[in-house]
Amino acid sequence: MLLRVENVHKSFGALKVLKGVELSVDKGDVVAILGPSGSGKTTLLRCVNFLERADEGVLTFDGERFDLARMAKRDVSRLRKKTAFVFQSYNLFLNKTALENVTEGLITGRGIPKTEAIKTARRALDKVGMLDRADHYPSQLSGGQQQRTAIARAIAAQPEILYFDEPTSALDPELTGEVLAVMRQLAEEGMTMLVVTHELGFARTVSSQVVFMEGGVVVEAGPSRQIFEAPRQERTRVFLQTDQT
Amino acid sequence: MDSRLLDILVDSFPKILIPGLTVTLPLTAIAFSIAMVIAVAAALAQFARVPVITPICRFYIWIFRGTPLLVQLFVVFFGMPKVGITIAPFPAAVIVFSLNEGAYCAETVRAALEAVPSGQLEAGLCAGLSYLQTMRRIILPQAMRTAFPPLSNSIIAMVKDTSLAANITVVEMLRATEQINARVYEPLALYIEVGLIYLLFSTVLTWLQRIGEKRLSAYENRGV
Ligand SMILES: Nc1ncnc2c1ncn2[C@@H]1O[C@H](COP(=O)(O)OP(=O)(O)OP(=O)(O)O)[C@@H](O)[C@H]1O
Ligand SMILES: [Mg+2]
Repeated sequence: MLLRVENVHKSFGALKVLKGVELSVDKGDVVAILGPSGSGKTTLLRCVNFLERADEGVLTFDGERFDLARMAKRDVSRLRKKTAFVFQSYNLFLNKTALENVTEGLITGRGIPKTEAIKTARRALDKVGMLDRADHYPSQLSGGQQQRTAIARAIAAQPEILYFDEPTSALDPELTGEVLAVMRQLAEEGMTMLVVTHELGFARTVSSQVVFMEGGVVVEAGPSRQIFEAPRQERTRVFLQTDQT
Repeated sequence: MDSRLLDILVDSFPKILIPGLTVTLPLTAIAFSIAMVIAVAAALAQFARVPVITPICRFYIWIFRGTPLLVQLFVVFFGMPKVGITIAPFPAAVIVFSLNEGAYCAETVRAALEAVPSGQLEAGLCAGLSYLQTMRRIILPQAMRTAFPPLSNSIIAMVKDTSLAANITVVEMLRATEQINARVYEPLALYIEVGLIYLLFSTVLTWLQRIGEKRLSAYENRGV
């Protein structure tokens, strides 16, 4: 097991958003987190990568156990170097070109020599089909191109796991395909991914595991096939039926 | 125009311009540079909500924005000797202009830092940069781009405000003009002349601002 979280609790003021979430990800797994809007999917992902501090919870990463509510700064930055996050709104560095977006974490963050970092970055950009746009600034790229660059930035440092928060939700429908194709390719290469998504097609065909969340708890989790074909929980069934178009 | 007046204007021109080049501009350049260091430090401290430092910054900004520049000059130049601290006119002006300008620019830079989308910081952290690295490489450069026009405004205002240093015996352009006027008594012509030289300085700075903005806008939308 690469990653496991247990008993994650998080409130914003009086609003309890996560109420004891538990999930695990094996190496090479592609885990899709599904669930209605407001169920706490983004919050969970943000807690797992310490962008939010959980009120309670245990994280096991690569065999090491951490208290999510009391993470030491040193552990946070160490774990962040083993993970990467792809945001719904891309969040490319606006003052950097596509290439610099990828090299920044390598050179500044990890101290990799510049020439080597550029080589690595160009390979990553090539993989997502963005090499010909390497010198463009984010403002000169379409949403799909920005998100593919963001994926290149995420994979360049060879993280042990990639987190995605609805990577295609901000995109025009005709642009989601190019991003999903890149993700599908990464999945085939064995990349471990934890993906919050509304794309049921992607969840069904690409992910190996599905976690269905509602109201701040995991309602049901299991192999994608089982969840889609024979959900055990009524709420899962209702969600999958009504959400399918 | 009678020839006496013309002679006075021609004769006074270098006598006003030279203090402009040797006092007004250096005073502005030195004080503004120090002000920028203060402003960026104070803005970053407040942005990061550093305990203890943040309230000190607020207090400093409150004092220097809340009192007249001329009063600050008087306190430092005429007041400090009372407690045994005597400062020469030019350094006194540098100190006051730096602190005063630093307070205003700190607010400009802080606002610019807060205008950077929060996702930029999160993306930096997730890309493996430390907080300080993200600030230095991602957030601050974007904030300085936003802050550039208002900061240019500030420096243009400052060139003109240095004329207040005349009141603490700094012989900058205005005081030099006053000295000439005391001799020849042509206030209308001489004060218009010095005004035009200020205008010339401001115009050059405005022009530099344009060039600066163009260079800084490299990453802004040039159309896909
Ligand atoms: N920083 C915050 N402050 C206050 N409330 C928040 C904050 N972030 C999220 N929430 C609230 O927490 C709840 C869960 O939000 P979250 O974004 O995790 O849901 P989600 O499952 O990702 O939804 P969606 O599918 O719409 O993205 C929502 O009610 C939201 O309004
Ligand atoms: Mg969400």
